[in-house]
Amino acid sequence: MKRLEALQVIDDVYAEDPLVMTCGAASRELASLGRRDSHLYLLDSMGLAGPVGLGLALAGVGPVAAVEGDGSLLMGLSMVASIAYHRPEGLALVVLDNREHASAARIPTQATAVDVAALCRGAGLDTAEVSEPDDLRAVLTDLRTDGRLGAVVARIEGGNATGVPFLLEDPAALAIRFTAFLEERHDSALRA
Amino acid sequence: MSARSTRSDAVVDGLLDWEIEIFVHVPSSHVAPVIQGLEAGGVRGVLANREEEGVGIAGGLALAGRRVALVIQDNGFGNALTALTTFAKAYHVGLPIVANTRGGLGEYNAMIHNFSEAVPDLLRAAGIRAERLGPGQSAALWRRTTQAVAELAVMTHRPVALLMDVMHPATAEDLA
Repeated sequence: MKRLEALQVIDDVYAEDPLVMTCGAASRELASLGRRDSHLYLLDSMGLAGPVGLGLALAGVGPVAAVEGDGSLLMGLSMVASIAYHRPEGLALVVLDNREHASAARIPTQATAVDVAALCRGAGLDTAEVSEPDDLRAVLTDLRTDGRLGAVVARIEGGNATGVPFLLEDPAALAIRFTAFLEERHDSALRA
Repeated sequence: MSARSTRSDAVVDGLLDWEIEIFVHVPSSHVAPVIQGLEAGGVRGVLANREEEGVGIAGGLALAGRRVALVIQDNGFGNALTALTTFAKAYHVGLPIVANTRGGLGEYNAMIHNFSEAVPDLLRAAGIRAERLGPGQSAALWRRTTQAVAELAVMTHRPVALLMDVMHPATAEDLA
């Protein structure tokens, strides 16, 4: 499946839930499907979607989805241990595994030789592997409905979608809309 | 090296005055009294493995409205600078960071000053405000400054660092 197809599924399942999206072209592609205040688009900060998602889940605002690529997961691999250690309910760690740095001249990642699903499983995360949109939808829907912690490694094709515009909005504005969504949904008190 | 000190206790009290709900930490020997003091005070600690990961976890908690601080040692700013600038600063995450400093008077490690001496300048260059506490300030001032740093971070929607020198011999005299 193409990354855009995988993102469409994730966007559908977590349409009204907090979702943290890894950086670069993947974030732009998700935004191109329709901007949502419930989704936090990281424009840089490679390897931080999982930790931010962990923080959100620990705050109890789940269900939460955190979407990484195989390259960004490997950059911040300690997130796998932290998520498995703290085991927050309702967090789905989704890894879009194209085995390349699609935005960096498609240079292969170490996932060409390292099994990222096995890494997640080895840390103690319930881990599913999918390669078709319908299977991704089924696994994510189950995780979201059950409020369980889990990882999903989705095998996708390499490369970036063409014709996707840059996401040039001020990150502060992205965060303000995201926190406003959280406040409205969860009656968060800090900014009061 | 995890003995309690009056000034570490003052930092704990300052965070409790702020009504901290949860903290994320990467342990080190000289910040351990703060970690242990917060946990003894009933505040949940979230263990992270690296400081940039800690910025992400604490940032998620902060975005969700939790009163959260990051507790680290200052050499961890080297790991965390990209996350601090491209996430916490860029996304206006109000995040107080309590960090013990290394490499100064009282240091016993022949290496760590090579990074830690540069931390204030690195933070300044990155546009991250830092307040410093040392042996010349009373425990009462440490406590009030800690609370004020946390309030400033949240009020200004940005990471603010509190650099505390707990290794200076004059500070160490307070070690119980």
